[in-house]
Amino acid sequence: MPELTYADALREALREEMLRDPRVVLMGEEIGVFEGVYKVTRGLLKEFGPERVRDTPISEAAIAGAAVGAALGGLKPVAEIMYMDFLTICLDQIATNAAKMHFMSGGKLRVPFVLRTQYSLGRVHGAQHSQFFPSIFFQVPGLKVVLPSTPHDAKGLLKAAIREDNPVVFIESGMLYRIKGPVPDGEYVVPLGQCDVKKTGSDITIVAVSRTVTEALAAAMKLEEQGITADVIDPRTIQPLDLATILESVRKTGRLIIASDDVKCGGIGSEIAAQVVEEAFDSLDAPILRVASPDMPIPFSPTLEQAYMPNAQKIIEAAKKLIG
Amino acid sequence: MLRKMIEIRRFEERVERLFLQEGALIGPSHLYLGEEAVAAGAIGALNENDLITSTYRGHGHAIAKGVPMNLLMAELFGKATGTCKGLGGSMHVAIYPEKGSMYATAIVGSGVPIATGVGLGLQREGKRRVVMTFFGDGATNTGAFHEGINLASVWKVPVIFVCENNMYAMSTRADYAVAAESVAARAQAYKMRSAVADGNDPVSVYLAAREAIDAARNGQGPTLLECVTYKLHGHGVYDKGDYRPEEEVEAWLKRDPINGLEARLLKANLATQSDFEKIEKEVAAEVEESVTFARASPVLPFDQLAKYVYVM
Amino acid sequence: MFRVAMPRLDPGMQSGKIVEWLKKEGDRVEKDMPIVRIEGEKTTFEVNSPGPGVVRKFLFEPGMDVQVGQTIALVGEPNEPLPVEAEAPTTLEPVVVQEAKVAPPVISRVAEPLASPVARKMAREAGIDISKIKGSGPGGRIVREDIQRAIEQMKAQPVVTAVSAQGARAVPVARTIKLAGKRKATAERLSYGFHTTVPVTITMETRMEAVLEQRKQLHSQTGEEISITAYVVKAAAKALEDHQMINSSLEGDELRIYGDINVAVAINTPDGLVAPVIPQTNRRSLSEVSRDIRELTERAVQNKLTVSDLTGGTFTVSNLGGYGVDLFAPVINPPQCAILGFGRTSERPIIVEKQVRAASVTTLSLVFDHRIVDGVPAAQYLQRVKELLEDPKKLE
Repeated sequence: MPELTYADALREALREEMLRDPRVVLMGEEIGVFEGVYKVTRGLLKEFGPERVRDTPISEAAIAGAAVGAALGGLKPVAEIMYMDFLTICLDQIATNAAKMHFMSGGKLRVPFVLRTQYSLGRVHGAQHSQFFPSIFFQVPGLKVVLPSTPHDAKGLLKAAIREDNPVVFIESGMLYRIKGPVPDGEYVVPLGQCDVKKTGSDITIVAVSRTVTEALAAAMKLEEQGITADVIDPRTIQPLDLATILESVRKTGRLIIASDDVKCGGIGSEIAAQVVEEAFDSLDAPILRVASPDMPIPFSPTLEQAYMPNAQKIIEAAKKLIG
Repeated sequence: MLRKMIEIRRFEERVERLFLQEGALIGPSHLYLGEEAVAAGAIGALNENDLITSTYRGHGHAIAKGVPMNLLMAELFGKATGTCKGLGGSMHVAIYPEKGSMYATAIVGSGVPIATGVGLGLQREGKRRVVMTFFGDGATNTGAFHEGINLASVWKVPVIFVCENNMYAMSTRADYAVAAESVAARAQAYKMRSAVADGNDPVSVYLAAREAIDAARNGQGPTLLECVTYKLHGHGVYDKGDYRPEEEVEAWLKRDPINGLEARLLKANLATQSDFEKIEKEVAAEVEESVTFARASPVLPFDQLAKYVYVM
Repeated sequence: MFRVAMPRLDPGMQSGKIVEWLKKEGDRVEKDMPIVRIEGEKTTFEVNSPGPGVVRKFLFEPGMDVQVGQTIALVGEPNEPLPVEAEAPTTLEPVVVQEAKVAPPVISRVAEPLASPVARKMAREAGIDISKIKGSGPGGRIVREDIQRAIEQMKAQPVVTAVSAQGARAVPVARTIKLAGKRKATAERLSYGFHTTVPVTITMETRMEAVLEQRKQLHSQTGEEISITAYVVKAAAKALEDHQMINSSLEGDELRIYGDINVAVAINTPDGLVAPVIPQTNRRSLSEVSRDIRELTERAVQNKLTVSDLTGGTFTVSNLGGYGVDLFAPVINPPQCAILGFGRTSERPIIVEKQVRAASVTTLSLVFDHRIVDGVPAAQYLQRVKELLEDPKKLE
């Protein structure tokens, strides 16, 4: 099977969907002439022209707002917000408008657009260019939130997101753009709202998203050497969440670790833990642990950032705490 | 246009009574009383299949665009037969895509970049349709407004940005908050065409809108159309508006757009008093029927709501 | 000495390739003069000298890939000694970030003992007392594995531990009958009686010639058959008239001395032993008692005894004589005070006036509850029964 980088896999998804559906239009900062700060949109301006690949001024509110409006106006826009840190500038358009429009209109309005963004934790970009807070969207029902961790998933999920009838926030990991992985030839789509069990075991369950999936897999391999086997589950979509797959695993293992790059307090792990305790209390053989970033802004200094980030070692330590 | 203006006026008056005197309605509501000429004139200049987007002060736009009164009233009552099935309320009542009213936002200014996006959609569609969006003087101070019209000018989308300058954003005077010679003057900073109309004269609004619409339809890009008008009452239905100087209010009351139009029509022999009475009678019946309809309608059962979160 | 290092040309760049050296070793260069061309991921770049001097050394050949940050060239004065180059950049010491530990309040609402939810559930369902389990989890927590082990152990333990596994003979089971119904009820009642009463047995040999003679006479006169059992029952009942303490029951603290004398007769049926009652036995004539016994036996065998038949007994008589038993000590029928058992009437040698003679003898056994009566009154009662049997004219 051919291997592609995560960034190239995303590009293929965009290109294929743009060829398939003339309504797909890209908009964002530096996506055209510059070919994207992470080169995801390389070559697309040349192939599809400025009408369909639109460079915008620095106007996050306008970018997101225009995406909402364009969706209302019959297009299928894919807007890019360069860094997740800038999402808060256009949060009104996404959370207060887009997420609610279908509901507020009694089911009449449809706002099918994809808002692509990425988080750069790990690239020494500092506190204002590294943030990752997907759990903010738990509080605004009506959006779908997708986080791919491999090139295969990235391509399949982006295609699915573009074909969705609902607004999708598609969060990429800056640290993953250059990783390579197998991507099948030919047409395929990865459905939203489905977990992927990336490794199986029976002693603990590790749920991980985005960048931390590779950390979780590394931890699982190391633990196996010590006779501890783990289910590694990548939810891929956190809204709506496929809780059933996670519960099935927890009922088998009785032990759960949730690994994610967001800040621990109020992060993805908090919600998943609460849901699991509610649904599978009597299956728990140990407390649920979250391996996440500490509750503080991201420090710039490279060694400090490394110490800040969740990693395989921290996951292994958590596993040891559970097994004793 | 007169009929539309009377429909808006009587509908809003009835709503006001339902709120204040009958206590039958609840929640925030922002009436269009006094601004009827803007909606009637501007929307009157559109084609049937052109689009609009509105705001929380949208009852007037909805009626002008042809949204049935029954459905508007039912929405205000929170009933399942309302335009938004009772899930939106007064601030979103104008949402009725069946008649081309694409959205109504309650966040000041947020509709401007959305209109830009709709314009992009129409531009790509290539069928020479235009979209008209409404907002107030206060919206022109928001970041979203500036980003939105800047991008609209960059993309040359077929949008008519209609600013209903009623001189107040709640209690904040426009001549204090708007750091520009006029709202229309702001368009210059964005290399956008602009115009000013007398917001209490439907003909003035109509003509100005017409020009802007034609330009947009012909691919000449967006226009910022400032219509200077005045609210008969306060910002929201409960607001007395007593921060406005008495003389100012009285001066504007003398320029009531409906009275003005009627006087002109009579003078030009284009209509008679009995024509007006006929219209009033029909409209009164229509309004009353909408209240009866709304009262008799059911509310959506709660366990039905979850299915409206996502498009399934 | 100036070090020229491999630069990072774009954020993701890990290493760069040396395309060509633009100067030679020994060339003099000024500050910011380009000395090497580098190729990154997609861009090619010229790197300038960081200061004036002579190119002292190129550390890599063109075409080689060098890690970002490594020294690739040295520029300095000709007489300066070349420094010993540290190879790779110093490894970054991991800095441990201390997570602020907030001490929780000491009040513990954790249910004792410490156990995980699944362990509690499993223990509950298996009927295991979790407080007896030792926890192997973190902090001594009782975990699933601990309960699993306990369940395994429970299954492995046999019910009787007396016989050790080694050398024990395994007995094949031919048939298993589950104890139920009458049998079970009888078993339970007798077991209860056995465990609560203090039974003592006294026996007396009784001469039955007179009874046998009277029987023969009655039979030839009226054709009536009166069983030995009827005689014993009637004698027992009459004797109770003067020994009321024995016509009693003890229930808890309460000793009840009955007003009526209702003798129950133990009858063997295919379904088991039953003891139907002859109400007011002492008032019935011998013939009546005999007929009662016969009738009750019939009904017993047909399983047609009523509740009324089976309740209200104050004393029981049991006869195994028909099966060849000489003497036996029956179990008291709770809550009665005593039971009279007798075996067969047989010819036995007795001593009369120092001479061995043959006589018809039966052995009476009275099993009485010592909590209610002592040996002497019991013996006196049995004496009276013997008396009545040895002179049956006294029975009516």
